[in-house]
Amino acid sequence: MDSVTTLTACPSVPSTVWAVPRSRAALDTFFRGFGFSDETDLSALAAWVLDGYSAHGGQPQAAVALARARMETWLSSVLGLEHAGPGLLARGRAAFVLCDGASRGARLLTRPAAPEDFVRAVRAAVPVPAPAQVSAVMPEQQLVLWPFGELLRRWWRGASPDVSISR
Amino acid sequence: MEAHSFSPESAGFRRAGVLGLAAVTTVVGTLEMHRLLSAQGTSAPEVVLVFLFALCFGWIALSFWTAIAGFLQLALGPRLPGLRYPSVDEEAVPLASRTSVVMPIHNEDPASVFANVQATYESVAATGHLDAFDFYVLSDSTRAEAWVAEELAWSDLCRRVGGQGRIFYRRRTDNTGKKAGNLGDFCERWGRRYDFTVVLDADSLMDGRTLVTMARLMELNPRAGILQAPPLNVGRTTLFARLQQFAGRVYGPIVAAGAAAWQLGESNYWGHNAIIRTEAFINHCGLPVLPGKQPFGGHILSHDFVEAALMRRAGYTVWLVPELGGSYEQPPPNLLAYAQRDRRWCQGNLQHLSLVMAGGLHPFSRGHFLMGVMSYVASPLWLLFLLSGLVAALHDRFFLDVHSLDTASLAFDAPGSLRLFAVSMGMLLTPKLLGLTLALVRPGEAAKMGGRVRLTLSVLLESVLASLLAPVMMLFQSHFVFGTILGYRVNWSSQQREDADLPWAEGARRHAAHMAAGVGLVAAAALVNAAMVAWLIPVVAGLLLSVPLTVLTARSSLGQWAARRGLFLLPEETEPPEVLERAQSITEEHAVEPVSDAVERVLTDAKTHALHLALLESQPGLAESTSTPAALEGARRKLLGGSAEPLSAQEKVAALLDVGTLSEAREQRLTRALS
Repeated sequence: MDSVTTLTACPSVPSTVWAVPRSRAALDTFFRGFGFSDETDLSALAAWVLDGYSAHGGQPQAAVALARARMETWLSSVLGLEHAGPGLLARGRAAFVLCDGASRGARLLTRPAAPEDFVRAVRAAVPVPAPAQVSAVMPEQQLVLWPFGELLRRWWRGASPDVSISR
Repeated sequence: MEAHSFSPESAGFRRAGVLGLAAVTTVVGTLEMHRLLSAQGTSAPEVVLVFLFALCFGWIALSFWTAIAGFLQLALGPRLPGLRYPSVDEEAVPLASRTSVVMPIHNEDPASVFANVQATYESVAATGHLDAFDFYVLSDSTRAEAWVAEELAWSDLCRRVGGQGRIFYRRRTDNTGKKAGNLGDFCERWGRRYDFTVVLDADSLMDGRTLVTMARLMELNPRAGILQAPPLNVGRTTLFARLQQFAGRVYGPIVAAGAAAWQLGESNYWGHNAIIRTEAFINHCGLPVLPGKQPFGGHILSHDFVEAALMRRAGYTVWLVPELGGSYEQPPPNLLAYAQRDRRWCQGNLQHLSLVMAGGLHPFSRGHFLMGVMSYVASPLWLLFLLSGLVAALHDRFFLDVHSLDTASLAFDAPGSLRLFAVSMGMLLTPKLLGLTLALVRPGEAAKMGGRVRLTLSVLLESVLASLLAPVMMLFQSHFVFGTILGYRVNWSSQQREDADLPWAEGARRHAAHMAAGVGLVAAAALVNAAMVAWLIPVVAGLLLSVPLTVLTARSSLGQWAARRGLFLLPEETEPPEVLERAQSITEEHAVEPVSDAVERVLTDAKTHALHLALLESQPGLAESTSTPAALEGARRKLLGGSAEPLSAQEKVAALLDVGTLSEAREQRLTRALS
């Protein structure tokens, strides 16, 4: 198995964390989705994800799953319970990118707590396209277009009413 | 629930006044017309002529007496009876209701849409009642580029004003039922969250104070189903648009006040800039699909009249409340765009013919259907009147004994004809004169419209130009009416441009038939006599000049030139209301970056990508329920297979609906960029 040692610039992450190249590439792609592009940041983030994970990201999918879990934990701590749920990662990523979080470097994620101003900004940027639905049905109204004709039709036991119900 | 009147005691008097006087005027005018035509006996074309005259004269008589009613209502100043207005104490209390402000859009310019939403939002916030309102942009956009641009503009807006959780955006993937379906979809998903819903158009702008007043009026009048705030045309710069804006500002209030004065709680709904009682709307205004084929069957196109009729049938009142103010929209920039809009409305209004006799409707609802039909059918009626007049004259010229004209008792009563013509013209021009009078006597109003002299000059110029443009609109509308009734398709490929100049070639192409009709009319009249040509000059001049009239009035430079000289000025231009100024400044400050290729933008721009995916994932199952597999397959092949072939419009939409495809394609691009 190919392996490389990944040095990190982040003091909170051990400098000996390493990942197999395919997993590292998958992690880089994942974090590029958050706007990170600097090699140092990507390296630090890979280390942050794999820290304490003994398999060194042997499978790219497993590494990405780990990264997703890390980010979800981080986002829920930043965004609070209000935005918890299945779409947390997508909405949180959007908010993070819209606030240009990557410009603050990997340290934004790896430090114990995010700065207050960023937390405020990212919370305000979470896209909430619509509130919870309260389902209702708009019943299609019956309009008898020609009541006199309808009377005649009924008298002759004729055809169906002259307004259709489409649904 | 049976429909019953909620109208005040004075309703009978008001209605008898307007409708009775209109009927008497019509009878007198028609008898006079019959007398004039029957001097030499009555030929078949003349019988047709009298019948058409009665219809057309009845229509202008109704408009005339409505304008008189409007003038009296505005001059005497009392509020409309029948609605309970808030007291000073009640106005100070926070709103107890929840109101949604919804703006259905369809491939619109996101910059102006979201600028209007922001200005309205901020205006509501300034009233201190923001907690009672939520805002929804309901997109039916089919163009992928419009869709992505809307998402970006919505996100920017939320961040700018802190509108997260209060300004919402929803895009429908199918456009079933068009605008009515869009609104219906909203009602079925979120309608029950709100007591009232304010419906806007894509170019609507409303003052926050107006919205609060509307919500309060709905709270105080539990049987009111719809309150319509008549919108004022503002914001465009072409000469044509400025003419409409000016006419709407000077004469519009007279007409609106007149209609409100006699229709009271049986007024109509215009589809936007109105507040509706949401639960009543959900329960009673689901539109039926009409039996038969278009133009009279199928989905109801002009939904507003029908919704008002259904609301009234359910026992709720519908009010036009002109005194609300603070309600704005934009007019079409030129005559062709105006006609294009008319073509759509014409078909919708004619469809209402099949509903006139429908069971259970209030008589006034039937009246609204008929008035809507008449607003378009009047044109072909005038045209037929004109043609039958010509035919009758030619009949007299070629088939009547010329010696009979020498008999005094059989001679044509020229002074009588002139008198009837003058009365008809007077009735047509009265609303303008009444509007001008009100503007002149109201303190400060004339000064804001360029001063008394310029205001009067503007009315004169507008009247001349409107008279010249009217025959062209008569032919356009006749074409649309005949096209709808006879079932032939009226093709229209020109695009509405934002205050852009209209090319001469486009004008010539659209008006070639109108000019030919003008020449034909002159030739036919000349066969009768020279005097006949003189009678037709008001009509023929507009037709022969249709190309320069359309092209020149479409020019923004001419509109601005007129404004600089104090012509066609609106008080809303000289002293703009805050909400209008704000919308304008937002449009200028926060230009929306154009999206030239939606898929490319989503794949290359991290912000757009993240936002789009977040919005997609907020509607799970969307792609499965709406995407066409073949289009998605094609999109995937082109995006992931490295094909340089561009995506079709359908493939773009399919790709934009699929999270997996977008994620894979972006990953692939990022990887390729690094290697």
